[in-house]
Amino acid sequence: MKVKPVNHAKAAEEFLDDAPHLTFHDERLWDMRQKRDQQMHLLPEWQELRSRASAIKEHTLANLPEYLEQFEANAKKNGIHVHWAADGAEHNRIVGEILEKHGAKSLIKSKSMVTEECDMRAYLEPRGVTVTETDLGERIQQLDGQMPSHIVVPAVHKLVPDVAKIFAKNYNTDPNDNSPQSLAESQRMAARPVILTADAGMTGGNFLVAETGTFVVCTNEGNADLSATVPNLHIATLGIERIVPRMADMGVFIRLLSRSALGSPITQYTTHFRGPQKGGEMHIVLVDNGRSARLGMEEFWTSLKCIRCGACMNTCPVYRRSGGLSYGAVYSGPIGAIIDPTFNERKYSTLPFASTMNGSCTNVCPVKINIHEQLYKWRRVLAEHHELPFVKREIMHMAGKLMGQPTLYRTAINGTEVALSTLPRFVLYNWLNPWGKHRELPHPVKQTFHSWYKKNRLKDKKESQGGKA
Amino acid sequence: MSSRDTILATLRANRPDPAAHELPPVAVLGDMDAGKARFEDALQLLGGQILLPQEGDTLATAIARRFPDAKIICSAVPDFEGTIRLEDVTSPQQAAATDVLVVRSPFGISEMGSIFLSEAQLNSLNSAAHLTQHIVVILSEKNLTANMHTAYVERPEFHTANYGVLMTGPSATADIQGVLIRGAQGVRSLSVWWE
Ligand code: SF4
Repeated sequence: MKVKPVNHAKAAEEFLDDAPHLTFHDERLWDMRQKRDQQMHLLPEWQELRSRASAIKEHTLANLPEYLEQFEANAKKNGIHVHWAADGAEHNRIVGEILEKHGAKSLIKSKSMVTEECDMRAYLEPRGVTVTETDLGERIQQLDGQMPSHIVVPAVHKLVPDVAKIFAKNYNTDPNDNSPQSLAESQRMAARPVILTADAGMTGGNFLVAETGTFVVCTNEGNADLSATVPNLHIATLGIERIVPRMADMGVFIRLLSRSALGSPITQYTTHFRGPQKGGEMHIVLVDNGRSARLGMEEFWTSLKCIRCGACMNTCPVYRRSGGLSYGAVYSGPIGAIIDPTFNERKYSTLPFASTMNGSCTNVCPVKINIHEQLYKWRRVLAEHHELPFVKREIMHMAGKLMGQPTLYRTAINGTEVALSTLPRFVLYNWLNPWGKHRELPHPVKQTFHSWYKKNRLKDKKESQGGKA
Repeated sequence: MSSRDTILATLRANRPDPAAHELPPVAVLGDMDAGKARFEDALQLLGGQILLPQEGDTLATAIARRFPDAKIICSAVPDFEGTIRLEDVTSPQQAAATDVLVVRSPFGISEMGSIFLSEAQLNSLNSAAHLTQHIVVILSEKNLTANMHTAYVERPEFHTANYGVLMTGPSATADIQGVLIRGAQGVRSLSVWWE
């Protein structure tokens, strides 16, 4: 059976129809973007930091096998068990075996996008392991049976009443609790006993340091440090691309990460794990899952520089107005749109079209990934590899939906960035770009299309002769 | 072939030309102010507090005033009594009953208001720093380093500690409708006491 491409437009439509959620989502993420800008303006060396971060990452990726070997040797020397997983299935098997060996039935974990990639909970739970997400947002998503909708703030698409309902069902709290403080306290109270009795703890990680065999975990809630230090068994899962050569390189990345992500100078916790704690056992699983293949994609390998800050998502007008879940993938937003197709080209074929090509993602990226150029390149690749009708229909549908609701462009962004506030024209211009021959249009924007068409007719005719469109 | 060898072989075959991507020298950039005022501003921005002595205060009286309801005050330092010593706490379950933990940090980072703790300060019971409700951190101004670059370049702890955490204020979350809540799952408050 052929995999069906994610119907991003249809999913986004449902999100767009829900005004309170949409408005909050849009404004919350834009607020994170603005806080990031404020932090950036405080550092005259910001652009220098970005250049350094990019250069360090590119160097590391070009020397990845050597650095991974160096990391492995140092980590082993410090008493860490190092495992390698070619894909999600192998990752899950490795984790399952470690837990089984220890007779561990209760696993507490902090947020890890890699374990989402591997769909680890779905593997462990039928094998009798209770997995408890301890990050508040991730826990909300777990209880609601949803994927994280954002890589940094997993439940950002939910409002207080949504959380109150979920907690009421699972924690027996007041379904009408409208205080975020008391809901967060409910999570603390519910999590603490589980943490104190867990058999094993699991974390993700933000960085591997080759020089010392250290992995670094950046978090805010304290749940990752609890998960790592309360049980005597700590398993960490990281993608093989998360490595830097020297401990001294961490300065560049820590200074960029939280400022880009949340607009705070640093996360509340920046934790360096170099070996097991006294009496404890530590495992690290290095996960490939498509990364080594991506390294060989000439136009897309630099996406491996990503430090998962989420800044490109916060700034993206399409992401803000469609919600992470509409992408139907572990990674959403601009970064998702350029890496998801490497996991499953057909399934995620529509995602690179979910962009206005305004370039804002590229401008905010702390490691200088040319995200919007890669989006454009993916469109070409996908147009060559896949049937166009489906993709095209969906793009048009999405464009029509967005165009049809001018209030959606209201906004948060007024007057701050011309490119973003002129969304409708950009959406239209760019979504149609690869299809020079396309004639139908959502009617509210006929005018704009005509001016676009006049301007681009010749150029696009030429291009479409080269492609298969 | 093992997955390890397959992955490494694929990386070797696929990687971009290493010669075209040199490693830049270590960066030490930005503001080099290693002062106390900068540290305090940064700490307070992230919700941390300064435990200020009043006339005639000792650490003990300052803690008593700041945490009047605290029953279990656990000390990880030789020069402060508390109600229990960290050496006498033997498990995370026991540590979870702590109201206030008093520790000494070997260094702080002025840029961020961060303090560092490792197993050396926590008597190898690392969870104690996160299970306690509140933490009081003794810090000396002379142990401040300017920023993240200088911290990673200068401090040997990053090369020696098995567990090394930079804590910057208390645990926090904004996962419910973007509302910032200080005191999420780890410590509810973090206070610095200058010595
Ligand atoms: S692509 Fe860049 S901006 Fe987006 S999450 Fe990754 S590092 Fe952050």
